[in-house]
Amino acid sequence: MRYLREVFASRELLVNLVSREIKGKYKRTVFGQLWSLANPLALMLIYTFVFGLIFRSNPEPGDPSGLDVFALWLLCGLLPWIFFSTVLTLGTGVLVANAGLIQKVYFTRIVLPLSIVGSSAYNWVFEMAVLVIALSIAGAFVLPWIPLLLLVMVLLALFATGVSLMLSVANVYFRDTQYFLTIILQIWMYLTPIIYPSSLVEQASKDVGGLLGTPFTLIDIYRLNPMDHYVAVFRQVLYDNRWPDPLELLICTAWALVALVLGMIVFRRNERNLAEAL
Amino acid sequence: MSDVAVRVDHVSKSFRLYHERNQTIKSAIMRGRTSVHEDFWALKDVTFDVPRGSTFGLIGSNGSGKSTLLKCLANIYFPNKGSITHFGRLAAMLEVGSGFHTELSGRENIFLNGSILGMSKKEITSKFDEIVDFSGVEQFIDQPVKNYSSGMYVRLGFAIAINVDPEILVVDEVLAVGDAEFQEKCFQKFRDFRRDGKTVILVSHSMGAVEEMCDQAAWINQGELMAVGDADSTIQAYKDSLHRPTED
Repeated sequence: MRYLREVFASRELLVNLVSREIKGKYKRTVFGQLWSLANPLALMLIYTFVFGLIFRSNPEPGDPSGLDVFALWLLCGLLPWIFFSTVLTLGTGVLVANAGLIQKVYFTRIVLPLSIVGSSAYNWVFEMAVLVIALSIAGAFVLPWIPLLLLVMVLLALFATGVSLMLSVANVYFRDTQYFLTIILQIWMYLTPIIYPSSLVEQASKDVGGLLGTPFTLIDIYRLNPMDHYVAVFRQVLYDNRWPDPLELLICTAWALVALVLGMIVFRRNERNLAEAL
Repeated sequence: MSDVAVRVDHVSKSFRLYHERNQTIKSAIMRGRTSVHEDFWALKDVTFDVPRGSTFGLIGSNGSGKSTLLKCLANIYFPNKGSITHFGRLAAMLEVGSGFHTELSGRENIFLNGSILGMSKKEITSKFDEIVDFSGVEQFIDQPVKNYSSGMYVRLGFAIAINVDPEILVVDEVLAVGDAEFQEKCFQKFRDFRRDGKTVILVSHSMGAVEEMCDQAAWINQGELMAVGDADSTIQAYKDSLHRPTED
């Protein structure tokens, strides 16, 4: 509890670090903040072309929204994923990148990874706002769902925070972590139903049946991936415009809390050694 | 002067000297261990009190453990044994301008750096003019700091740090910055500090600076406290040891 109070007391520093990240990032670029849309747009075009047109991964139309646009369906899962992977990638390196500061000034160290979450969330909110507008133009009735959307976004942000706290500490001791993570994130993305609907996995799982004679099927293992549940909830809220499955929402909350608590414990344990270990 | 600002109580600090350090997972697995090391004691059972309102100098040769002690005082390192207790708000200035973002303007960096050093936005706003005035970079305050000369960069960093207005200020060898005029300003600031009953702890290689500014001093040699107390006698003892070639 005392630790939380200390973190809360550093909120001004956190705000300043977040604005340092945001202001510094697109300084001296002509398009500024618009650049944060460039990456998702490029990915959207590639995936829509390859998986929407060539492979024909046909997701079911939104129910009850009636939407049937692959690009929008894709973005509902892709934007949360990009946020998640950005937080992990930047968060892993943040302590090493700020080694000079850590070795020279005392402050609550946790604000460094938190500032990455903050600045990434800023970009993400911007992207999601654009998506909500696009969905509305396409005929979805998203506006009443925005409070719920924000709640799910907070849950994913907490989950990402917890994981990146652990990774940032791991990277101080083992610099492999950051390189390892790039590979893991690639695999992870394809194991999450972002560019294909999870109904395809269910189908494949049914065809294969119990694995090695056990009652466990492919889909059971597939569902262990927390991102599967987050993406499902984002799609239900944004694309289908309906109440998310309560069980899915519960699983998301549980993952967020577990990751956050573990992350805080790991970080707090190692915080004092950072200046020496770096 | 009877009151204590900082109590250093039987502080020992060791570092690991690595003969082998496997910082990649591959090497850790291949060698079956993460490191082979021995402990090096940078500080051995150091005990002293820093009186409130004093200007306290830490002296000693290179590698004697002064900076380690200073980092322990600044909460950056944590001692293996013993404890350090501060009575009052402490600010440390171990390097000026760390945490500046080079693409941001001097103005933005004052707010950023001030908050890293623990100032609230309100405090920074109220001291903003003083900081800018002290640093002498008024003209360039809205320019990105990457365009600053190295002198301006350090002066701005120093001006922010010295305006944190702590009860205890810890300073590492930063007095060597800026031109003579700026140094004179700094000395004046330290004198003001002392007049206000604030405590300054500083490390310097320049005996002249220590002699001029400090009233108390501690001499550390190879991690051990050799002498502590009145500045003149401590400095004299240190100087004597240097002229005795038989010792050490």
